Amino acid sequence: MIELSSVRHGILNIPSLLILPGSTVIIGPNGSGKTTLLKIIAGITAPQRGTIIIDGKSPALVNTGWLNEYPDRNLLFGTVSDEIASPLRFRHDPCPEVREQVNIVAQESGISHLLGRRTRDLSGGEKVLVSLATAMVTSPLVLVLDESDSHLDQGSTDTLTRLIRSSKALYIIWCTQDMEAAAGADRVILLEKGVVTRHGNPGEVFAELSGDCLYPLSWRLSNAPCL
Amino acid sequence: MPLVFEDVSYTRDQFRLTANGIFEEGVHLVSGKVGSGKSTLAFIASGLVRPGTGVVHGNQIRKSLLSMQFPEYHTTGITLQEEVRSWGLDPEEILESTRLSGRGEQDVSVLSRGELKRLHLGCVLSCDADLLVLDEPFSALDCREKRVICRRIAERNHGIVIICTHEQTWLPPVDFIWEMKNGSLVSCGRVPGAITRWSLAPRHIRELVEQGLVPRNISPEAVMEATCRTRE
Repeated sequence: MIELSSVRHGILNIPSLLILPGSTVIIGPNGSGKTTLLKIIAGITAPQRGTIIIDGKSPALVNTGWLNEYPDRNLLFGTVSDEIASPLRFRHDPCPEVREQVNIVAQESGISHLLGRRTRDLSGGEKVLVSLATAMVTSPLVLVLDESDSHLDQGSTDTLTRLIRSSKALYIIWCTQDMEAAAGADRVILLEKGVVTRHGNPGEVFAELSGDCLYPLSWRLSNAPCL
Repeated sequence: MPLVFEDVSYTRDQFRLTANGIFEEGVHLVSGKVGSGKSTLAFIASGLVRPGTGVVHGNQIRKSLLSMQFPEYHTTGITLQEEVRSWGLDPEEILESTRLSGRGEQDVSVLSRGELKRLHLGCVLSCDADLLVLDEPFSALDCREKRVICRRIAERNHGIVIICTHEQTWLPPVDFIWEMKNGSLVSCGRVPGAITRWSLAPRHIRELVEQGLVPRNISPEAVMEATCRTRE
């Protein structure tokens, strides 16, 4: 369980929040603190006040995969295979194991054909998929994605969603402006002006948002009032 | 004041773009997969990139403006006020219209990605341009802001607006639809007929078309109206 207590950081003000294992989507208007919350969960930022505990540990001690919103900011190395291998090499895994693991995760991600490519030549969607494979290569306990779908077309978003759902991470937490994707998560957190205003399964959260543009369009079309 | 692409081609490494077509006055939607060449087309349309072969001309276009996908590429001011002034606009007016009033002295870098995009588009859409090219204007914006942008695009009553986007839900009413397919620009024609030829249409629009219910346009309101036709 991920437990936040009395967290204050910038705009964020979260007295108490429990995040259960599974997929959790954070939604909310621009500037509501989504990225800040994700960075705190990922251990990139320590809260100015309050605590966050992930299965009894500080986020800094938890194996976490992180995807930045900006595709280019995820990539450090010249080739796709070096990029995916980098988290394993940083922890000094033996070379044969690194190669094997890179091949496995590339295959699972459907990007084996990209392994020899230069990262700078990849399209935006390919960069996101390579970054996701890199984030997943160490089998993290927590996978955190910051609007990774915001620059993807529908086909690439579907692939990303499929990969996220097949991840072995115990906690998958991401934010998105795609409410259709949010509707498929286990839980949804609505953040407004730094405060959690709704938290529950998608049906519960969106039921209270039926008059808001956040309500998934597919649900709206299914329940069209047609007056 | 049409913008004309005549036998245009552009090559970069393994990628090749080809384009032939006339962008009439009105709102044009260019859809395409990631990496299909939408951004390159936007750069060529606005004159920032010169095609390898062919010509792009629009004799009556006095002023063209390109909004790039990543708003940070446009930023030149340190504070929000300076940024707005760099567009030749009134900071007070723009900050109010983008709901950033009272933050004029703040550093642009403290804005979230979505807030920066909001500020940027507020400036772009307040400029008078005969040709406005918007590359992924909806990415990073929340649904409320997307609706604002759709409304402001719909309110423009002159010139050419080209929107390159993969947005699936919050789309403004448009006059023409185009697709980028493997680097080639393909015209679907004028709306609403174009909707039936739009192979990359959002899922909910495709489903309606498959039922024989062609929305009058691609905005959520038009889609809702077509959906309701099925219930009558």
